[in-house]
Amino acid sequence: MAIAKAERLMNLALCLMNTRRPLSKKELRESVEAYREAWQQGSEDAFNRMFERDKDDLRELGLIIDVDENALDGEVGYLARRDRNRLPEIALDAEEAAALALAARVWQQAKMSGAASGALQKLRAAGVPFAEEREHGALEPRIPGREAAFEPLLVAARDRRPVTFEYRKAGAATAEPRSVEPWALECWRGHWYLAGWDRDRGSARVFRLSRITGKVRSRAGAFTGDVPEHVDVRAVVARFAGEGATATAVVRIRRGAAYPLRQRALDDARPVDADWDELDIPYGNGLGADLAEYGPDVIVIGPEDLRADVIDRLRAVAGLAEVQS
Amino acid sequence: MSNAIDQTRRMLSLVTYLRERPGAEVAEVARAFGITERELIGDLNVLPMCGTSFRGGDLLDIDTDGERIWWHNVDDVAQPLRLAADEATALLVAARAVAGLPGLRERDRQALTRAVAKIEDAAGESAESAARIGVTFEAEGTVFADIDRALSEGRLIWLRYWSHGRGELTEREVDPIRLVTEGHTYLEGWCRTSEDRRTFRLDRIAEIKVLDEPANPPRLQPRDLSAGLVAPDADDPQVVVEVGPGGRWVAEYYTHDSAEELPDGGLRITLRSAEPSGLRPLALRLGRDGRITAPPQLAEQARTAALAALEHYRDGQV
Repeated sequence: MAIAKAERLMNLALCLMNTRRPLSKKELRESVEAYREAWQQGSEDAFNRMFERDKDDLRELGLIIDVDENALDGEVGYLARRDRNRLPEIALDAEEAAALALAARVWQQAKMSGAASGALQKLRAAGVPFAEEREHGALEPRIPGREAAFEPLLVAARDRRPVTFEYRKAGAATAEPRSVEPWALECWRGHWYLAGWDRDRGSARVFRLSRITGKVRSRAGAFTGDVPEHVDVRAVVARFAGEGATATAVVRIRRGAAYPLRQRALDDARPVDADWDELDIPYGNGLGADLAEYGPDVIVIGPEDLRADVIDRLRAVAGLAEVQS
Repeated sequence: MSNAIDQTRRMLSLVTYLRERPGAEVAEVARAFGITERELIGDLNVLPMCGTSFRGGDLLDIDTDGERIWWHNVDDVAQPLRLAADEATALLVAARAVAGLPGLRERDRQALTRAVAKIEDAAGESAESAARIGVTFEAEGTVFADIDRALSEGRLIWLRYWSHGRGELTEREVDPIRLVTEGHTYLEGWCRTSEDRRTFRLDRIAEIKVLDEPANPPRLQPRDLSAGLVAPDADDPQVVVEVGPGGRWVAEYYTHDSAEELPDGGLRITLRSAEPSGLRPLALRLGRDGRITAPPQLAEQARTAALAALEHYRDGQV
């Protein structure tokens, strides 16, 4: 039976950490049984591929592997120096440790959740006083990550690698190819967004991850433009979501109705008669849809374009206008 | 379940951890590492197959009788390892997000903020890419703090709550169970009024009182939230929504059974809802971007509501 990958990685890691001088590939092949097997039963090539992949995997786990091109009479040597790989002294008190342990549980996405518990394990091994028992708190913050594009974009933003993907803009019938230098990812109201440089459009853009269709592909080469010091994904997304509005709408709301809408009012409600109040609401993107939700409990007084938008929506639902579907 | 990468990461930490704790108990170590005893025993079976140096011959000398773990190597074969970029990012992004949660107790916020600074220091350059990821949790701070207090003191809550589906403010008594944040923050509790487990969005709580009466929620299995906060029952009635390209967002916001592509770039979305009439706001919201095709009563309710609303705009009205 083939030797399990985890065992092979452990052996490689321990070899590289417990040597004072760089080791050649041949020495590593001789001392790690799985490599010897791959070499004997497979080929030089099979071993080489396995070795390269394993080094990458260990680097993902944080191991710094120095490569000395000319260590052993012209042969390449590998070494994971103790001093470069040691976690520096870290003194967390029990309260800080408990707060961190709660935060580490918030990731729902497999890669980040694995990374967070891996970090806690390293800290625990270094003596940080985490409680042995995992308490079931009454507070449960969760960071989702269901979108398939999340993981590849996370890695691309981390390594500053350009990517390409197919993207379906809001309301578009089909997806279009995009070529993007990913700057930052932001999770807002439970959805992930990417900000980056859109190479074809020559400008900064924000993408919603759930609208990326198909695979995210990593491209060779570096970013062509500078990454801004501060990327405010949230401000852009919030603007699309109707926040940061500059205009004001006047609406009438039936007394006792549409509580969430009343919460958005700029000032106190003005009673119109026994049944209706008049309110000023910030007028941003998407307000027409928000108002239509309340049906006969809301009347738009103005502006005229908002009033027309709501009437049009209502006519479609009433069957008086064509629905595009 | 753990993949080879996670298992390797864990075993590297175990090697250091166990060496410091001769005779450590299997059950305790498994709990500390957040794994099952079976997984730990799996790790302990792999470790003795690992050499301690390239010279060969010396293997990790660890054994267990299934209850305790013994460590025999004399040499220091491992050390606490530096954090990887992903590890530092996962911790820092999460810690910053939780620290920014409105309503979090000040003491917890300060502890987190201190922890973040220390992790940043210890992580060094691994912490750099954490700045490229941001997460914002939303909550209504004062409501959050009231519920948090009710939870810690074990007290009943009275709510005036906006029921979006029914379109009205309702009064309820709720035994709080937990606060869940995913984008927005929700109170999960036992609603005495409807005698059922309910989820309340904090921004729809119009008024809250923490009562003197002790909370006494029935013993319930914590709900599995992995599929989303709103998990319909298998026998809930089906709702079918057909949307054009402009209504595709429905599939992103509503937990659904299926979303079938339509030739025009739209979707036919099938979902389930305990009370389909609660989807009337959605039906009204869609406008030209889509319509409810089943159940017919829901489509009819939306149509009636739209006609009633249009009455307001007839000549001579406002």
